[in-house]
Amino acid sequence: MWKSLTKSDNTEIVIALAGQPNCGKSTIFNAVAGFKVNTGNFSGTTVSYAETQVYIGGRTVRLIDLPGTYSISAIDVAERVARDYLLSGQVDVIINVVDASLLSRSLELTLQLMEMNVPMVIALNMIDDAQKKGMEIDIKALTSLTGLEAYPLIAVQGSGVHELFDAALRVSENGFRRVPPVYDRDVEECIARIEARYPSLLRERLKVDTRFVIIRLLEMDEEFERIVAEVDREFLEYVIENRRSLAEVHDWPESGVFASHRHALVLDLFEQVVSVKSRSGMGLSEKIDRFIINPVGGLAATVGVFFLMFAVSFWFGNLIAGLVEAPLESLGVFLMSHTSGYTAMLVSGVYDGFTAGVGIVLPYLVPLLVILSLLEDTGLLPRIAFMADGLLHRFGLHGKSVVPIIMGYGCNVPAIMAARNLEYERDRIITMLMVPFIACSARTVIILALAGKYLGAGYTTLIYLGNIAIALGVSSVLSRLSEDMSPGIIMDVPPLRKPYLHVVMRKVWVRIQEFLLFAWPVIAISSIALAVFSYVGIDEVINRVLSPITTFILDLPSELGITLFLGIFRKELTLIMLNSALNTADVSTVLSSVQLLVLVVFTALYIPCIATISTLWKEGGWKVALLSIALNTTIALVVAGSLAFLL
Amino acid sequence: MTLLELKEGDTAVISRVSGGKGISARMAGLGLHAGKKIRVVRAAPFRGPLLIEDISSGARAMIGRGIASHVEILDEKR
Ligand SMILES: Nc1nc2c(ncn2[C@@H]2O[C@H](COP(=O)(O)OP(=O)(O)OP(=O)(O)O)[C@@H](O)[C@H]2O)c(=O)[nH]1
Ligand SMILES: [Mg+2]
Repeated sequence: MWKSLTKSDNTEIVIALAGQPNCGKSTIFNAVAGFKVNTGNFSGTTVSYAETQVYIGGRTVRLIDLPGTYSISAIDVAERVARDYLLSGQVDVIINVVDASLLSRSLELTLQLMEMNVPMVIALNMIDDAQKKGMEIDIKALTSLTGLEAYPLIAVQGSGVHELFDAALRVSENGFRRVPPVYDRDVEECIARIEARYPSLLRERLKVDTRFVIIRLLEMDEEFERIVAEVDREFLEYVIENRRSLAEVHDWPESGVFASHRHALVLDLFEQVVSVKSRSGMGLSEKIDRFIINPVGGLAATVGVFFLMFAVSFWFGNLIAGLVEAPLESLGVFLMSHTSGYTAMLVSGVYDGFTAGVGIVLPYLVPLLVILSLLEDTGLLPRIAFMADGLLHRFGLHGKSVVPIIMGYGCNVPAIMAARNLEYERDRIITMLMVPFIACSARTVIILALAGKYLGAGYTTLIYLGNIAIALGVSSVLSRLSEDMSPGIIMDVPPLRKPYLHVVMRKVWVRIQEFLLFAWPVIAISSIALAVFSYVGIDEVINRVLSPITTFILDLPSELGITLFLGIFRKELTLIMLNSALNTADVSTVLSSVQLLVLVVFTALYIPCIATISTLWKEGGWKVALLSIALNTTIALVVAGSLAFLL
Repeated sequence: MTLLELKEGDTAVISRVSGGKGISARMAGLGLHAGKKIRVVRAAPFRGPLLIEDISSGARAMIGRGIASHVEILDEKR
């Protein structure tokens, strides 16, 4: 059967990158689109789809990066995003990205995608890893058995990407020859029986291939069952009847009988396509891995990583902040002496914002981002999850929450989204509510720049440990409130990979750009706004409204009300506005050590920033967002208030 | 016998994955079907998960103990 596409040349071609988690889809996307989406050596880096328009061979292509999915029967929220997109009928060509070094597992999805009857090419990515394993893949045989063109790639080095996209375009223009997977005779007869009764109404309702729908039904796909039940109950009954007898004949559970047949096909295909020569000996990364998965090595690595993350950020941040302080100050003096009136107010606002970025935020932010990026790229995250799982069980969570939690140290927003990888709603909600307690980079800057500088390393460490303890306490209480039990962790552990400098640099640069483009203007505008506020006297109103909290509970100067208020928009603002709110160049002259501690602890815990709240809302609904606000604010008040009272 | 009863270094063949559709689907997604020969590489501390290696492909995955108790195996050899 030939499927030809009668698209005129000027229409956009939609190409979707689909594949199992961690096979390099986003790396291929970035190779074509420039660095736009995040990549990382763990399953579930991408949790929502991304698209970009590119021009390839004179054609306009809309390229889609999807979250990884192990199979079409998506289990978690991220997988559902991929499934929904693939089933939406918008895709002209699928690029099925596979990790060539895990070909047998990957082919399970490949066969499912083939059943969809959409033009497709195979990207055999990570061919370098496959070679290291001594695998030889007969691409010609793969093509003749599946009818799909396949191309070897090392996406992270950019090799093979051109050929792949040329092929994808060719397939979209010339059509492709369908070679659907053929199952055992009784399975095929079962499909044929059902196909003969396939209601035409259903054909109109569902935009996807008939055979594909039948197979989905045979696999007990609940969503398809629901739709079919709406259209034709009797037909569904008929399918179920056939499914049951198929399961009985083969003595398999109904839910797994079809998958087991597909699995047999995959094994067969794999045998015909792959031959394994001798493996090369244990490489360096395997030796490191052997060390890390030991209890002692793992603990050392985990503690070491956290220590590095904060110690390096603090040390490097202080160094750079110290270096730029004097030049920035003289720039300020120069600007102030050359402006007056409204211009002075404007200039001083912009100057404050600029200084805050260069002098305070960036010096601490950059090293933190580099280390977080290394954590993502090497594959340490799943290993930390492995080590921490048992411990997290005591607090009602399990190891899979490690990824969101550690990502939270960068920014809470992607961290909350990363909770999409958790299979169980209960785990997902608890993780989402826990993440806002994790001190993100903005709050880390505050902790390092205030506590680190004025209170010393001991207190700073205590603040971080206390912060983690509170986060764990919250999850422990929440999990006790929930009736459900979590079955626990199942998670892929990819090999350790060496980080590529260009990837780390691009990742860090993208995040700095976000800071420059979004945060910096907000900071500058807030600086100006604060100047205007104090000119008009609004700041005093805000300060007075908040004074029960600032002066009564926290024992802080009421002038801090406005800075805490602005912190809701961007957490950095609390720190940046501190000097001007207190009207000093050195806050330690105005605030006592206890007050500094109370301020830092309060900002580390109180109400999540606007971006975090809106993400919580989107991901978990308004109840989760409101609960998070209430939890964070209450705990911040209690903890910081007790510190103020007791010390 | 279940996966939970294996010690570090033991190999076995998975014979059945029970415990609901979600668990068996996840296991299958990671290539851990019935008939697969696996090895327990490591058991994490504090009753943490088991690190399992699929012997034929070398792929690794961690499986929590709760789920491991649903994975039936044929013990091979020590
Ligand atoms: N050795 C090797 N590593 C690669 C190759 N392509 C990508 N990687 C690395 O593999 C890891 C996973 O890549 P991603 O692009 O994030 O994978 P993905 O398919 O988007 O993953 P999910 O979004 O989690 O589904 C990253 O650390 C990449 O640097 C390759 O060809 N060879
Ligand atoms: Mg991705």
